[in-house]
Amino acid sequence: MIMLAFSLISFLIMLILGIGMYVRFSAASRQEIVQSTQKLMEQTGENLEDYLVGMRQISDAVYYNVIKENDFSGQDKEIQQGMNLLYEANRDNLRSIAVYNNYGSLMAAEPVASQKEDPNVTRQDWYEQAVGEMENMHFSTPHIQNLFDDEAFRYYWVISLSRVVELTDHGVPQFGVLLVDMDYSSISRMMKQINASNNGQYYYLCDSNGEIIYHTRQIQISHGIFDENSKNAAAYKDGVYEEVFEGERRKVIVNTISYTGWKLVGVIPYSVFTHGMFNIRYFIVLLMLLMAMMLGVVNRIVSVRISRPILKLNASVMEYEAGEQPEIYIGGSMEIRHLGDSIQRSYEQIDLLMRKIVMEQNERRKSELDALQSQINPHFLYNALDSITWMIEGERSEEAVFMISQLAKLFRISLAKGRTVITVKEELQHAQSYMNIQKVRYKNLFSVEFDVEPEICSCCMVKLVLQPLLENAINYGVNGMEDCGKIRVTGRQEEGTIILSVTDNGIGMSEEEVRFLLTDSNRIPKHGSGVGLVNVNNRIQILFGKEYGLRIASEPDEGTTVSIHVPLVPYTEENRKSLEKGYRFGVDTKETTEEEQQKK
Amino acid sequence: MKDSKKMFILMEGILAALVILLVMVMFWGRNGEEREKVSVIIQNADDSQWSAFKYGLRMAAQDQDIEMFVVSTGKVLTAEEEKEVIEREMKQGADAVIVHLIPGDGTESMLKRLKKRIPVMLIESSVSTGGASAHFPVTKTDQYAMGAALADALLQDYSGKLEGKKLGILSESGESWKVSQREKGLSEALGEQDVKVLWSVGSRYMEEEEAFVEALPKVDLVIALDDHSLTLAGKVAAANNLHGALVYGIGHSTEAVYYLDTDIVRCLVVPDMFELGYQSLTELSKSLRSFFYAPQEQTVPYMILRREELFSKENQEILYTMNQ
Repeated sequence: MIMLAFSLISFLIMLILGIGMYVRFSAASRQEIVQSTQKLMEQTGENLEDYLVGMRQISDAVYYNVIKENDFSGQDKEIQQGMNLLYEANRDNLRSIAVYNNYGSLMAAEPVASQKEDPNVTRQDWYEQAVGEMENMHFSTPHIQNLFDDEAFRYYWVISLSRVVELTDHGVPQFGVLLVDMDYSSISRMMKQINASNNGQYYYLCDSNGEIIYHTRQIQISHGIFDENSKNAAAYKDGVYEEVFEGERRKVIVNTISYTGWKLVGVIPYSVFTHGMFNIRYFIVLLMLLMAMMLGVVNRIVSVRISRPILKLNASVMEYEAGEQPEIYIGGSMEIRHLGDSIQRSYEQIDLLMRKIVMEQNERRKSELDALQSQINPHFLYNALDSITWMIEGERSEEAVFMISQLAKLFRISLAKGRTVITVKEELQHAQSYMNIQKVRYKNLFSVEFDVEPEICSCCMVKLVLQPLLENAINYGVNGMEDCGKIRVTGRQEEGTIILSVTDNGIGMSEEEVRFLLTDSNRIPKHGSGVGLVNVNNRIQILFGKEYGLRIASEPDEGTTVSIHVPLVPYTEENRKSLEKGYRFGVDTKETTEEEQQKK
Repeated sequence: MKDSKKMFILMEGILAALVILLVMVMFWGRNGEEREKVSVIIQNADDSQWSAFKYGLRMAAQDQDIEMFVVSTGKVLTAEEEKEVIEREMKQGADAVIVHLIPGDGTESMLKRLKKRIPVMLIESSVSTGGASAHFPVTKTDQYAMGAALADALLQDYSGKLEGKKLGILSESGESWKVSQREKGLSEALGEQDVKVLWSVGSRYMEEEEAFVEALPKVDLVIALDDHSLTLAGKVAAANNLHGALVYGIGHSTEAVYYLDTDIVRCLVVPDMFELGYQSLTELSKSLRSFFYAPQEQTVPYMILRREELFSKENQEILYTMNQ
């Protein structure tokens, strides 16, 4: 997320920067193109002006040095010579020089050429213009020269400079028209030079009415293939204009040629600016992409440096929450180290508190167990002593001695050096001693049978759990039966559970009675101390958990089977201690081990 | 963390792909600046009759940003020679060709082969001598209409009365389809006029062609159906060897205009050769720039020139193109 946010912000900044750069750069480039176009046009304008001034000077020279100085009737040779001199000196730019009288008759021409049969000079535009405004020189638009016969079958494209002149013929002054036909190719060449680039930008020349003098697409315009906004351009003053012509946005630069009123027009379509910027645009995009890549890497490094300690800390906290006990990650920047340290200390404190609570709970359970244990001993002792008293009263000393010896065994196991957990074997021995005592007491009114798998003898068992069951079997099962009472003690293991069962063939119980037997602690027993089954069940469950304890099965008139279910825990000193401390086997073992390790 | 790494790799991958794409586009753009090449093969390419046509081609090449090259050919070009020139141009990398076709054996099959490889545009020509060129795009003038326009001019000059006039028709023998169309237009427009066509001859670059024309029987009117014939008739008439016959014709060279200007030719029908060149190349360029575009047949206009208005503004433009 950090990286994404960083990248997004960086990219946006870059985008804005890129667009800004592009806009700035393109504006500067546009300005540059316009300025260079203006410069070029100024230079071309000057060249054109020089050319036209040259033509005017030729016209002046012909007029003042040749025509005015000579009479056409007698000095035609001098006139021809003077005109020839001027023509030869400027032949690259000139097509012809000719003088016509006021009737349109040819007075002199250079180069000497035969005139067409009837060129109708007075009706030609240049003649009409000259006569129309006699005080001025007139530049025509380009046209085909229709005056002289050319046997090479060529028709020359010229621009005519015409003026009214005063000529003398046979001593009579009269007005005539001097025509200097400039070769259009000279102007065309100048214009072609500046139109050499093929990028869409072009220059054209028009007169003050917008009539095209030179255009790169002159014929296309006359054929209607292309159109030009020359009429509007002719109305513009010198400067830079923006216009939309035939749907195309373009810049138009206008430069007026002195004296003629011709307009040199530069046209820069906006596509030229775009075309020029095309590579720049690519370059900027490429630069942006590369910068985005680089920023991505930098952002990744920065974000990883920031987020990795947080993620590691989070992972260790999650592991902790999942039950494992990893070291809380402490690393990265000072703040994150501080955070990790705080979490670590918090967890340590929580652990400490938890252990304390567990220990307190164990202590409480042990206290409860001890209290229950202490309930049994007086109960049994009372019964046994009662039997011995009865024997001594009946002078059955041997039996009393047996009883006392059995009682001694019983108490030895009962005491068991203060242990709560003993082996199954010891418990069975205790049960046998008890049954021996009871058999004497009940004058063998019942028989007892022990059938226990030897494998379970070395497993853990809660002390004094069989005895209450046997006592109940005697009291509620076989007591009162004539010589046919049978109590069977069996022991087996089944799927990791030790099952010790006491079965009698007594009167049995109803299902309802069985149901309440372990749940109704307020039930008043008919015989004994009344702490038997509930006591045993509680003790087992305190040590081994709620899933273990007593199971009772009984059928009225058939008998009762009470089974002890405890987990199969091999009897070792370690297991015994663990169980006695309240750690349940298989569940709390690890905690026990760690606690012991800590103690160590 | 893994997701973020994946996203990072994905993002960098996309950016790298874009960079590669952009570099390729830039590289391609730089290489793509090479212009298409179009070769133009016309007979007697240096002759002034093609000036306006070549100017039209040049203007179209400039407008379309195409490299155009007019192949220099001899005065007389046979169909076989023309085939060789086309093959040579293709080998030299022409992207398209504009051909003024000279009919001959195997021309159609050669063109079919050619068309499969590069776009072809014919000008003023037909594949078969019969004029059926349905398979090949042609830029042309309406030959029939020009013939008819010539007849109209003739009728106009004689107020529709040509009874008893003797006509001689001069034409290029190698341009049988074009000439036949013009002749058809002429004769159909003359209709039921009682004119007698005394002779109708082909004059294609034969030796002593002027003498040949001079030796033809005297007629009142000579109708020249193509530029070469018209300039030939003009030349003979200028030398006063056409027995006083008035010349009418179709032409597009400055010589033809000159004979009109000097009143040797009475009326000149001029096909717009500038337009012919311009449109043929423009149409071909569309086909070069679009794979799916097939060049279409183009018909260009023609003008009727009289001496009186030869130097009108419009006609000056035609003269300008002829002079290029």
